[in-house]
Amino acid sequence: MNNKKISIEQKEGIYYLGFGEHETKSLTVISEETLLEMDEALSEIKGDKNAKGLVLFSHKPGCFLAGMDVSVIQSLTSEIEASQGCEKGQEVFNKLEDLKIPTMALVDGVCLGGGLEMALSCDKIICSDNKKTALGLPEVMLGVLPGFGGTYRLPRKIGLTTSLDLLLTGKQVKAKKAKRMGLVEAVMPAERLLEKAAEYLFKKESHNKTFQETLTEKASENFLARGVIFRKARQTVLEKTKGFYPAPLKILEHLEASFGKRRSSYLSNEARMFGELSQTSQSKALQHVFFLHDNAKKLEQKDKISSVRQGAVLGGGTMGGGIAWLMANSNQSPILKDINLEGLELGLKQSSSVFEKALKRRKITKDEFERKQRSIKPSLSFDGFQRSHLVIEAVVENMDIKKKVFSEVENYVSDDCLLTTNTSSLSINEMAKALKNSSRFAGLHFFNPVNKMPLVEIIRHEGVSEETINRLYKWVLDVKKTPIVVNDCPGFLVNRILAPFLNESAYLLEQGVSIESIDKAVLNFGMPMGACRLMDEVGIDVCSHVGEIMEAGLGPRAKANQLSHKAVEAGLLGKKNGKGFYLYDDSGKQQDINPDILKLLPDQKTEMDETTIQMRLILPMINEAANILDEKIVDSADTVDLGLIFGIGFPPFRGGLLKYADSEGLERIKGAIEKFASEVNEQRYELSPYLKKLVENKQKFYEL
Amino acid sequence: MKPVYLVKGNRSPQAKSGTILKDVAAPYLGHYLIRDIMDQTSIPNDQVDEVIIGNTGNPAKYPNVGRVIALEAGLDKKTSGYTVHRNCASGMEAVSQAFVKIASGRSDIIFAGGVENMSQMPLLYNEDMTDFFIDLMKAKSSTDKMKVLSSFRLPHLSPVISIEQGLTDPFCGLNMGQTAEKLAREFKFSRTQQDEFANNSHHKAVRAQQEGKLKDEIVSIITGKKLDSLISEDNGPRADSSLEKLAKLKPYFEKKTGTVTVGNACPITDGGSMWLLCSEEAVKKYNLEPMARMVDFHFHGLEPERMGLGPVLAMDGVLKRTGMSLDQMDLVEINEAFAAQVLSCLEVMKNKKLSDRWNVDLLGELDQSKLNVNGGAIALGHPVGSTGSRLMVTLAHELGRRKAKYGLASLCIGGGQGGAVIIENLNQ
Repeated sequence: MNNKKISIEQKEGIYYLGFGEHETKSLTVISEETLLEMDEALSEIKGDKNAKGLVLFSHKPGCFLAGMDVSVIQSLTSEIEASQGCEKGQEVFNKLEDLKIPTMALVDGVCLGGGLEMALSCDKIICSDNKKTALGLPEVMLGVLPGFGGTYRLPRKIGLTTSLDLLLTGKQVKAKKAKRMGLVEAVMPAERLLEKAAEYLFKKESHNKTFQETLTEKASENFLARGVIFRKARQTVLEKTKGFYPAPLKILEHLEASFGKRRSSYLSNEARMFGELSQTSQSKALQHVFFLHDNAKKLEQKDKISSVRQGAVLGGGTMGGGIAWLMANSNQSPILKDINLEGLELGLKQSSSVFEKALKRRKITKDEFERKQRSIKPSLSFDGFQRSHLVIEAVVENMDIKKKVFSEVENYVSDDCLLTTNTSSLSINEMAKALKNSSRFAGLHFFNPVNKMPLVEIIRHEGVSEETINRLYKWVLDVKKTPIVVNDCPGFLVNRILAPFLNESAYLLEQGVSIESIDKAVLNFGMPMGACRLMDEVGIDVCSHVGEIMEAGLGPRAKANQLSHKAVEAGLLGKKNGKGFYLYDDSGKQQDINPDILKLLPDQKTEMDETTIQMRLILPMINEAANILDEKIVDSADTVDLGLIFGIGFPPFRGGLLKYADSEGLERIKGAIEKFASEVNEQRYELSPYLKKLVENKQKFYEL
Repeated sequence: MKPVYLVKGNRSPQAKSGTILKDVAAPYLGHYLIRDIMDQTSIPNDQVDEVIIGNTGNPAKYPNVGRVIALEAGLDKKTSGYTVHRNCASGMEAVSQAFVKIASGRSDIIFAGGVENMSQMPLLYNEDMTDFFIDLMKAKSSTDKMKVLSSFRLPHLSPVISIEQGLTDPFCGLNMGQTAEKLAREFKFSRTQQDEFANNSHHKAVRAQQEGKLKDEIVSIITGKKLDSLISEDNGPRADSSLEKLAKLKPYFEKKTGTVTVGNACPITDGGSMWLLCSEEAVKKYNLEPMARMVDFHFHGLEPERMGLGPVLAMDGVLKRTGMSLDQMDLVEINEAFAAQVLSCLEVMKNKKLSDRWNVDLLGELDQSKLNVNGGAIALGHPVGSTGSRLMVTLAHELGRRKAKYGLASLCIGGGQGGAVIIENLNQ
């Protein structure tokens, strides 16, 4: 047999099947070929009367199997094709499960989706104590369910309640927890796995059930208790997904219906459900987002690009402290420089509060907290900047001050130190003029709060070098964020598209549409928070300021609303001072609508239906995105969608702003924009020539 | 011997135990100091030969604080690190070892200093309780266990206070305060004389703080339960110190007839100090501008019950070793463990009969305007493991400010020793 995906070896009657031997990528995935080879190998083993046992392992350190190749799922075009695909896989795994000899999977590193489903088909799993070791069934995050028997075997292995938690959230568990929940038999150093395989293969099961486990198991066998478990789970799912995502609900439906059924009918139900889900628009959108994200992680010749080992942050405010946290958390021992002790303490507080939350959630230990927080060097001088590889400036948003800071800092850093600004509103091209050597300068735009927001915009200017962009790209990946590269323009990518959305919300308010109906419409579209709520979060003063910048930079189509200006004058700044469209308590929790803002709104109320509100807000975004592509601010629709999903939480089940526009049909979008142009405002709804051209050529954003 | 340069020296703020530095574990009183100095130089982090740290209240979690500090400071993993213990002079011992290594040509770049968190010195189980635990572990059957358990008595729980034990001399049985009382009795120093000395120390220190003189030597430290505040000043010096207030305090070590109070003794303190010592080659290679040159050092023993006189013997030793005289010294630091003890030293130095008794040269009367000019340990505190190097830091900065030439730092050492170092200021 000439295998590409699986190595087969037999020693003293025990078969060893190894994955990933010839895999050049960092992760091994399961392809159709893997399944075929697996099938053949299992037939051979089944036929061997002298076979004593079977061990599955990976040649690749840090990766057992990262699941089914997502492009295979993406290529499925019908429910039947998808179900049949599942059934094929199920057959192979059934064959593995049905072997009369003891079987075991040795897991070192990631063991996800189909990988875990395969391991679950073995009698036992033992895993390494490697930090990378993580087991889980993330299919739900792609809008589907595990289709190779995972929904059948996981509950049998670890009980209904625990498996629901994994199946519905897609969360991954580390070695220690996997042992505790009974998913794996033993945990040991990776180097010992193969050595100990034979011993564990023939060992009797050792997992003693705890009292609690016995209790929950008994409960799930009880018809009434089971009903309660499912009802509770459904409630939690609805709270979390607001009903936008069908997969978790389908999973619940399937588990409840199939509970206690024989394997064959359980699995055929699973395959059918997979087929249905795989063709939903939500799943297609999530698969699209998966690839957007996955592609963003790719960087050519990454290993050859030099890493940042030490960083420095200028300015100790909320952003500066957040960025210092990010560097400290990635072991880059940052220097945090400010001009006074108060500024430094503000930054330290910001960083400490993030670490403290992680400590409370037991993500880090107390020692790690101490070490990481203390790896930040608070400083009033430029001492040590000569050792830094990356400086991120986060001082006050003022061009003159920033220019001064950069021309000063340039004297203290080494020649290959990257210099960046975290400005959100100032011109990078203009700022670059302050530097003698601007080729190592760029914008590095973080979103607030730094610890939570996954996106970082890398902003080019005319004189920036490709090396600088690549090094920054790598750094952003190293600190576990998602980078996009954007050309300089007012608001860059994300804020430039967000601005018309917020601006138009204020116009709706001025027109008499209520705060409640705007926010409700936005939430029902799938955005993470209402538009007015978002303005509070960003700061109404910031919105007002950005509005002015947009108008100055983009002209009449970005004409700023008056409301935010008036609100700022009335002292309503948003969450930061507890008073915005809503009121906030001392801990920042949202309370009722602020009666003071109502005084600024027209007495005459306008009733507007939800879809109209949504379109009033979303269409200007699509229109502006088209302008951005026209101006070549970013290279593709991919980048726009990635930026908006990771930057402002544009609903992933819609696949991104432009994916959504494509799916609605650009002809319709164009018509709606033109309608608003004549009915609402000619300038703000001025159709982008780029969009017009697409429609004329019958093209889509994603067909370029 | 090759010349040895004191390139840069700094220290943490010093804080009375149980106050603002109480949560800062010993390594974190030192690692900022190294990082601060490294950042003022271009020395690559893998070019430091060694880190030597003085520490006496060895934290159970960090048996070798020196190595932990080296790593936390971001020095390369290959940097050797160790910890030394010579009681109150541990920091000076660390610097002295660095001196020998560089003078002999073995090493070129060494960080040496001291750290002490006296707030974190533990309470220990007493012997009875320890035996109880051992018996309990040995007991196999449940009847045996019951038997052991029933042997438990409440006094088992009375703790051994490690700091109290550490400050008591195991040889003569006196605690440090009692040795000071002994000197006060023998040299006939009154309570008022001691209080005057202490009062003076506070006012000198407060003046130095007000004039911003200590700022150059202090590196801010992150403190607080949440690690989000910065402290940059010593909290020992009292601006409102007065003889009347000091007079109100009761004797601490000899309750009925004594003269030594917590007011005329140094407080228990947390703090750290650090030096970068380099060879001439390293100075040239990295274009360093050393603050001072370390001329030499000397340690000397004497009877433990009069440990307070240690500085005299050590000063005599280092002066003889270098062929210098006390007159040549522009500034002198004698650590203020106790007012009575410093006063006694000054007495021996100028008294022929007493000098003969301790077999030292008559060093001569010390000009008071040269002694502890920015206050001493009575005001600033005495973090035991750090003080030896801390005195040198304060001395070098003040010599530099005055553009003076030579300075001498000395201190008494619990257990009956003294230590002294002479440095030459290079900041002209």
